[in-house]
Amino acid sequence: MKNVITKTLVASAISAAMLAGAAQASVTVVSWGGGYTASQQKAYVDTYSSGEINMISYNGGLGEVRAQVESGNVVWDIVDVLPSQARTGCDEGLFEELDRSIFLPAPDGTPMDEDLMVDVPNDCVVPQIWWSYVPFHKADTFSGEQPSTIQDFFDVEKFPGKRGVHTWANAIVEMALYADGVAIPDIYDVLSTQDGQDRAFAKLDTIKDHVVFWSAGAKPLDLVNSGEVSMSLAYNGRIGGAVLNDGADYVTVWDGQVLEEEWLVLMTGAPNRAAALHFLVHASSSQAQADQAKWINYGPMRPSALPIMEAGEPWFNTGVNIMEHMPNTDEHMKGGILANPDWWADNGQAVNDRYAAWMAQ
Amino acid sequence: MMKFPSYTTPREKLWFYTYRTFCGLVLFFLVAPLIVVIPLSFTNSVFLQFVPEMKIFSFETWSFNFDGYGIRWYKELLGICSENSGTTVCTDRWMVGIKNSALIAVFATFFASVLGTLAALGLSNRHMPFNRLIMALMISPMIVPLIITAAGMFFFFAKLNLVATIPGLIVAHTILGIPFVVITVTASLAGFDNNLLRAAATLGGSPLRNFFKIQAPLIAPGVISGSLFAFITSFDEVVIVLFVGGTKYTLPRQMWSGIRNEISPTILAAATILVIFSILLLTTLEMLRRRSEKIRGVTPH
Amino acid sequence: MSDTSLIDSKGQLLTNDGVPLKESLRKSLRRTKIRSFLLLLTPLLFLLIMFVGPIGSLLSRSIDDININTVLPQTFAQYELWEDKSILPSEEMFAAVINDIRITHKLENSEGKNIGKNLLGKAGTRMTYEYSGWRSLLLKTVKSATSVNTRSKEEIKPYKWEAPYKEQMIKRDKRWGKLEFWQSLGAMKDPYTMGYYLNAVDLRYDANKNVIQKADHLKIYKTIWMRTLKVSLMVTIFCLILAYPVSYLLATLPMRISNLLMICVLMPFWTSLLVRIVAWMIMLQQNGVVNDTMLTVLPCIYEGPINLPFFGETNIDLCFSEEDRIPMMYNFTGTIIVMTQVLLPFMILPIYSVMRGIPPSYMKAAKNLGATPTRAFIRVYMPQSVPGVGAGCILVFIVAIGYYITPELVGGKDGLMIGNFVAREMQQTLNWGLAAAMGAILLAAVLILYWAYDRLIGIDNLKMG
Repeated sequence: MKNVITKTLVASAISAAMLAGAAQASVTVVSWGGGYTASQQKAYVDTYSSGEINMISYNGGLGEVRAQVESGNVVWDIVDVLPSQARTGCDEGLFEELDRSIFLPAPDGTPMDEDLMVDVPNDCVVPQIWWSYVPFHKADTFSGEQPSTIQDFFDVEKFPGKRGVHTWANAIVEMALYADGVAIPDIYDVLSTQDGQDRAFAKLDTIKDHVVFWSAGAKPLDLVNSGEVSMSLAYNGRIGGAVLNDGADYVTVWDGQVLEEEWLVLMTGAPNRAAALHFLVHASSSQAQADQAKWINYGPMRPSALPIMEAGEPWFNTGVNIMEHMPNTDEHMKGGILANPDWWADNGQAVNDRYAAWMAQ
Repeated sequence: MMKFPSYTTPREKLWFYTYRTFCGLVLFFLVAPLIVVIPLSFTNSVFLQFVPEMKIFSFETWSFNFDGYGIRWYKELLGICSENSGTTVCTDRWMVGIKNSALIAVFATFFASVLGTLAALGLSNRHMPFNRLIMALMISPMIVPLIITAAGMFFFFAKLNLVATIPGLIVAHTILGIPFVVITVTASLAGFDNNLLRAAATLGGSPLRNFFKIQAPLIAPGVISGSLFAFITSFDEVVIVLFVGGTKYTLPRQMWSGIRNEISPTILAAATILVIFSILLLTTLEMLRRRSEKIRGVTPH
Repeated sequence: MSDTSLIDSKGQLLTNDGVPLKESLRKSLRRTKIRSFLLLLTPLLFLLIMFVGPIGSLLSRSIDDININTVLPQTFAQYELWEDKSILPSEEMFAAVINDIRITHKLENSEGKNIGKNLLGKAGTRMTYEYSGWRSLLLKTVKSATSVNTRSKEEIKPYKWEAPYKEQMIKRDKRWGKLEFWQSLGAMKDPYTMGYYLNAVDLRYDANKNVIQKADHLKIYKTIWMRTLKVSLMVTIFCLILAYPVSYLLATLPMRISNLLMICVLMPFWTSLLVRIVAWMIMLQQNGVVNDTMLTVLPCIYEGPINLPFFGETNIDLCFSEEDRIPMMYNFTGTIIVMTQVLLPFMILPIYSVMRGIPPSYMKAAKNLGATPTRAFIRVYMPQSVPGVGAGCILVFIVAIGYYITPELVGGKDGLMIGNFVAREMQQTLNWGLAAAMGAILLAAVLILYWAYDRLIGIDNLKMG
């Protein structure tokens, strides 16, 4: 225990020292907007007293990041990035490699990098959340047997109606293979072969005529709510938002969910580097990660945040239990596929081109 | 209703009415969607559709009912939030956007008007070499797809420290505004008789004085209507703001992210204000046009 | 004054001051030219620097492949020596890769900061565009090739890997033994490349830099180009069909009434594009005004079983019910409808202004000469309105072909156009060369049309409102 306290003290001392040297400018944090940014605002920014934080939104992608860094005119400090971009960006030197010792350990003393469900991919990333692509439907859509597996999503005979699917290939090709009988650990090996990709697209062909495509995260709720589709894939946090805040009667089918990492990174040459680092330390603490789940049901990336939430149930701000809505609990992880960002960084362009061609057919 | 001459055949009458109906439908097609936005912006629900609660008149009870309506989304637009639930952050982003848009548009309009007028005056000299080419260049920002302009500026502005700054956006929007001013000023110069200037010069006026006394009043309506076009172009522009705006939000960009990510009726409140705004602008323009016709002695035929 | 001779000895006309008139006129012309030039100078420079410059530098990226060539110079030199490209290259080429990696890895910038690692990262991103998997293969190899023997006592510690490299590399990752990876280097070996342009039209280089077709399942841009053309053409045609009668009506009505109706045309023109898109979302979506109205208005003719000759008892459904709601938004239809409304004023205005100039007496004359109204309209009126139609069509087509916002927001799966893919490559996939190449092709198309417009109509005849 003493060890923990020492570590925490050292870490806080370092970050306090860093802050002392920081100018009092407001740190720009770039995220995705909507309920997600709102949860970050409430869990990290509103609880942060050591400086001003300005949250803005972007449409994703590294285009702007690279242009800023290459021109030497960086205006952002912290960016909320997808896993494959966290890797590409760090490789290309767009993000700064961080001294890992400044981050706060878990309450039991585990250093941050070991307090993760996956190996930390590089020194640029700071843990944020797990989120997932997951199918859902309205509770009263089907009478009799209810969908319970990912196969049911691909079975339009057993569960009639259209399917809402996003306009890019991530997650849906993994789901297709899993539904086609590939075991979860083998998915990326199979996908790495031409035959495997053909197999995934053959599975997608079976629902091609029943697909309604969406590209904005709010859309699938609209599609399911209006009955335009009977089932749709969506970001689990969007479904949770509707259920937890607005009392919608949506049912999430966790089997076959594809979990994606979400990281915070510091831009190379960030204008408010010191203040931004201080904020990152705050935002990545187990407590802050747990706090975020008060506002949205994305899973904290640090497992040490889960017991904090469990102990505090009902944890969600409206006074309901949150654990059953989290994507990365043991229960929901049984049929969960962890997305492989390295594979996507390698093959994303080709597979997405093929997917775009498939959509346009 | 139109009176037909006695010799009109029924077929001609039918044709006439079909034709008028068609035209009516086309005009309806142009305007109807804009009108629909207005009542829907006063909805109390969170959906962008006419929900059953919005029925004003009930045939069952023969009574009016306005419960489905309110100014909830206008409050949100102004940054006045009554409820602060988990999913919405109370934000003044819309107001910031409106302010930024207005600021950028005003300055961009000013610069575009000055530069555009200078260019049009220069180009009005038919003896100028490469006249046609320069004209084509001046108008090209209107023709080149915005996505290409935006992508080009994306790299270039980064080098000049103009990304994510208001001056950067002003420069970009000035470029987009110039063609409109050039076109309208050139048009108003088209009927200009250069002998007037020569006469003035013979009478001893200085060139500058002559310009302000003779040319300026004639091209003024052209400058003003061109600058109105430049203003509305800037005020409405989103592609370039998306690429080089960085942290700076403008009203259209806020609408863009509203449509893409959040889809809340606040967009409708903003849209309604913009529709009313455009009607005001249009009226101004129409009045200017009439004035210009009066000055130039052109009467409608 | 009258007694001064105005003709000099050579018979030239003189001005009052005795200067030859020709000379004086030339001087005055020169003065106005200089004045015009000075007036033009500022706007011209401004546009050249802030508009033409950026676009030029964007386009230069479409052929630029210098980066990768600075990272792997030895490898590409060896590639030239690789003769039979159907068998794996020799040890020299494997060694060249390792050498290139080691040299780049140590590169520093002028401030002494290592930039080599990032250059290799960028090279990985670039190489993956050519063949999937390059990125992880390269970075994995960078790790192995640059790790040093820390136990060595020498000043400069030797690398763990020593020549020959071929077997070690294939053992480390079997992809080094795959021909496809090696062959894909061929497309990157020159500092200036047409590869991005080929990619933009679904072609690619093979190992010997011959142009070949991409694999069928990766072909996508041809579809998109064709769709862009199709959407622009359809929108132009629909606009023309809708605009022509309306323009005629506006041109023939008394000015007072037509000005009033003109407001209907100008109002959308003056209203924010995003507002119009939102408006159409409300109208056309599944639960939108149009579907709702059809549901209420369309009568239910018959629903249920019916006894048909030959077919026997059949269920027929002549009702417009909930499940019949038509999807009109977030697809091709939506894009066409919204773009037609958005661009319609661009068609009406030029046609209208030409029609206003056609004297009504011509039609009367034709009719008096015995032509039927239809014939008079087709033979006399329509030919005179052609300049307006031409102007409108080219204008609408030019604007439509580069559209980005509308397809992005309402296009859904099959309504996206080339502009959206330019943005995608710029912002998401970071393939800036490809984005620039697509942009260049698009720009060329637009400029050709613009030139045609200038030739046919003259840009100075462009009128607004």
